[in-house]
Amino acid sequence: MTGADYVIKRTVFALMTVLVAVTLNFVLFRAAPGDATSSLRACRNCTPEFREALHRELGLDKPKLEQYWIYIGDLAQGDLGLSFVSRQPVWDELRQPILNTLPMVGLGYVIAMVLGVVVGVVAAWRRGTFLDWGGVSTSLFFYAMPQQWFGLMLLILFAGSLPASGIADPFIEFTDPSWWEVVVDRLEHMILPSATLGLVLFGQYALIVRSSMLEALGEDYVMTARAKGLSSFGIVRRHALRTSLLPIVTLAALTFGFVIGGDILVEAVFSYPGIGLATYEAVFDRDYPILQGSFLLLTLSVIIANFAADLLYFRLDPRITA
Amino acid sequence: MSGRPVLEVEGLHVWFELDGGRELHAVRGVDLALEGGERLGLVGESGCGKTTTILAVMGLLPPNASVAGRVLLDGEDVLARGERSARPHRWRDVAMVFQGAMNAFNPVQRIGDQIAEPMELHGIAEGKQARRRAAELLERVGIPPARASRYPHEFSGGMRQRAAIAMALACNPKVLLADEPTTALDVMVQAQILEVLTALADDFRLAVVLVTHDLPVVAQVCSRAAVMYAGEIVETGPVDALYHEPRHPYTRLLYAATPELHGAGELASIPGTPPRLDRPMAGCPFRPRCDSAFAPCAEVHPPLDAVGAGRAAACHLNTAAREVPA
Amino acid sequence: MTTVPAPELLTREPDDFEGPRRRRHVVWSVIRTQPQAAIGALVLLAVVVVAVLAPWIAPYGEREKVGDVFEPPSSEHWLGLDDAGIDMLTLMLHGARVSLVVGFAAALVTMLIGGMIGLLAGYFGGKTDVVLMRLTDYFLVIPDIPLMLVAAAVWGRSLTNIILIIGVIYWTTTARVVRAQVKSVRERVYVKRARSLGAGHTRVLVRHVLPQVAPLLVAITVLSVAVAIFAETAIAFLGLGDPTLTSWGKLIENAFSRSAISVDAWWAVVPPGLAVVVVVLACTMLGRALEDSLNPRLRVGHLSVRHFRLRGAGGGEAR
Repeated sequence: MTGADYVIKRTVFALMTVLVAVTLNFVLFRAAPGDATSSLRACRNCTPEFREALHRELGLDKPKLEQYWIYIGDLAQGDLGLSFVSRQPVWDELRQPILNTLPMVGLGYVIAMVLGVVVGVVAAWRRGTFLDWGGVSTSLFFYAMPQQWFGLMLLILFAGSLPASGIADPFIEFTDPSWWEVVVDRLEHMILPSATLGLVLFGQYALIVRSSMLEALGEDYVMTARAKGLSSFGIVRRHALRTSLLPIVTLAALTFGFVIGGDILVEAVFSYPGIGLATYEAVFDRDYPILQGSFLLLTLSVIIANFAADLLYFRLDPRITA
Repeated sequence: MSGRPVLEVEGLHVWFELDGGRELHAVRGVDLALEGGERLGLVGESGCGKTTTILAVMGLLPPNASVAGRVLLDGEDVLARGERSARPHRWRDVAMVFQGAMNAFNPVQRIGDQIAEPMELHGIAEGKQARRRAAELLERVGIPPARASRYPHEFSGGMRQRAAIAMALACNPKVLLADEPTTALDVMVQAQILEVLTALADDFRLAVVLVTHDLPVVAQVCSRAAVMYAGEIVETGPVDALYHEPRHPYTRLLYAATPELHGAGELASIPGTPPRLDRPMAGCPFRPRCDSAFAPCAEVHPPLDAVGAGRAAACHLNTAAREVPA
Repeated sequence: MTTVPAPELLTREPDDFEGPRRRRHVVWSVIRTQPQAAIGALVLLAVVVVAVLAPWIAPYGEREKVGDVFEPPSSEHWLGLDDAGIDMLTLMLHGARVSLVVGFAAALVTMLIGGMIGLLAGYFGGKTDVVLMRLTDYFLVIPDIPLMLVAAAVWGRSLTNIILIIGVIYWTTTARVVRAQVKSVRERVYVKRARSLGAGHTRVLVRHVLPQVAPLLVAITVLSVAVAIFAETAIAFLGLGDPTLTSWGKLIENAFSRSAISVDAWWAVVPPGLAVVVVVLACTMLGRALEDSLNPRLRVGHLSVRHFRLRGAGGGEAR
């Protein structure tokens, strides 16, 4: 398989997945018992006439297949529909939350990766020692915590010292802050949600890094490296680390779905106004267009993350061209 | 030109600690001595301790192993302080070609870099110079030097084994240990690899220990051979003499079980199985499978005695023949 | 636990010919010989017993108001009271029932779906394999919690629905692991022999392949229990749990939405989460121990903190 073949194959797969996700998004919402209007809060006690009008507006009176084509056509133009609650376009409602979420999730990823790699590598390297035992137990413990609960625990522990909710101090504008103070304020609001996301993820990463390191250390080329006279640090740095970090690229992408799930829970706990909170609130309001839109965007982002990881892996691992 | 041997192994013992406190005595008092340019074949069935012996020479035993005896490189004891004293010698003085070089290379690093790595580590050459030297070494084993920037998976099995030999020569070692360097390769490639190995060993005046179960390979490459059984050397001497006039029944049966032409792979087996090495043994370890065992074999362990010029064997038949004329 | 086998030991096992007999008691023997598996199994067993006995051992009624709102722990109420003055310990015991039912039932669903798909894909290979694994890949990409959210929001929030939703989302890992195992089992001598003797596909699958895969399937399913319990807490936390039932997830949600945090009522938050941690840890320890002993790819390491030891020359001569 040549490099071009590989890229084409992954691209086709990514596009197919997008189609599946879009279709699933349609089917999930249309195949519901009753229909979207029956659980709509605005329409709990409404007249049949109003319900009918709503049906027409949502296009629910047309045959399913036609609805599907209309839906695809709208999507192609970037039209995700209108929010039930605010009557604003879904995309406008979700854009700012997405921008809010990105740095918070990014920081979480950084925490998880750095800690995960360090703990995983050290544990594998010092296999069978107290360090290994301690690293594995800590990782397992973090891994075993429900994220929302861990968030609440952090909230209890740091309630006094760090801001517990929101994305910025609502009064900071009145103090005429410097750009630095604004950044610090944002970071302070980010730290608890990011730590919650990052630490739970860290548990997973450390365990996986450890076992992929152990696997690498069992390879024959590690024996060769020892025979060459490399010190154990040299072997870890030059041989084992590089090969065992490759899976982490995929891992970062594969866990992206998990991170997004965690993001919803964590933003709910800390009232962090990101896409997760928007989704959470949409569930409460039964705001289906928002829910549908955010589900689609989240799924797309996972697909893109996976696609990016495939391409990156291709750059990093010379074997793939074989 | 015969002087002091470059590699001496004296009374080497290796034990492996097993689960449940058992212990496996894998190598039982092995002595070896090689001069520069000399090539020794270490032969025997799998599990007889030949690989363990050469791993011990490099100090590459697993942590559940314990060692007694001495390994001298140019008179310096390599094992005296365990890992610490063994490491500086690795690849500098003793290099190794591993069994199945398929996996001896790191899959995500370029071949040339992996050959240059030990040079930089031991201060033989740096940077560009090391790369150049790596390319030269590749050329000497018959690989176009441009291939140095390729990855292992782009090499065929035979080429990888050649590259492994080139890598072994990176630091101008005095001793080369080769562990089954040609198994898993087809006959044609096998012959070429052995040719390269012999030619280079001559050029570099290397002392070579070739571990194999393939007797014809030993005949092609080595002048001397040592036959191992159950962790001991049972017979040693010039290859021709071992073939024409074996002084240990095991050597005789080994040759008898070998097909005429090489390349047939695994030895046709001698009836019976080797003794378990995790239990104490009385008498001659080969007795249960021996076709000429007699009275003392069951009780007395036969020592490795000289049986002629440059030859030794551990068999009661040799002493019996002398003391009790048949 | 870290055993480094001696090279070229004289223990060649003729495992290729023995067939299904060998692995039958593997689950039991792992539990018996590996401490972490034993601890996991014991903890799990203890929680199951407590959950089953909950109605009898619970000190108070599940909806009985026995004191003030958020009354702190005392000798009568070991874990204090919740926002409605209900005994937390009682709620915890009842919550165990629901959480475990969801965990085990959903894991069973993943086992059935994933096992079936993995078995078929691995055994038949070819087109079947391609189609089924492509399906698995798609499922793997869709983010789990958002999908559960949507499904639960749209389909309703009964216990059965939640179990089915979790099961239908998390079968992918099982399918992949089972497929890989089946692929290798299929190539073994006795399976080939059975097929060459004219055994039908169903017979080979049930008699020869399934018994070989079963222990691994058990291991994965044990891990799935943990995942399912997690998923339940997430669904409940997002307000989509069955409103009529008390689960650990529901208790966490309850404490959060009734602002137990702001009144410092830690006793309403800590126990349900800790209970989840304990059960998830138990499942993970048991599952991983089983998995590791069935897929022993991490046994040998060429790099170790310890090195070989030296013995005095006399040590050798003594034997």
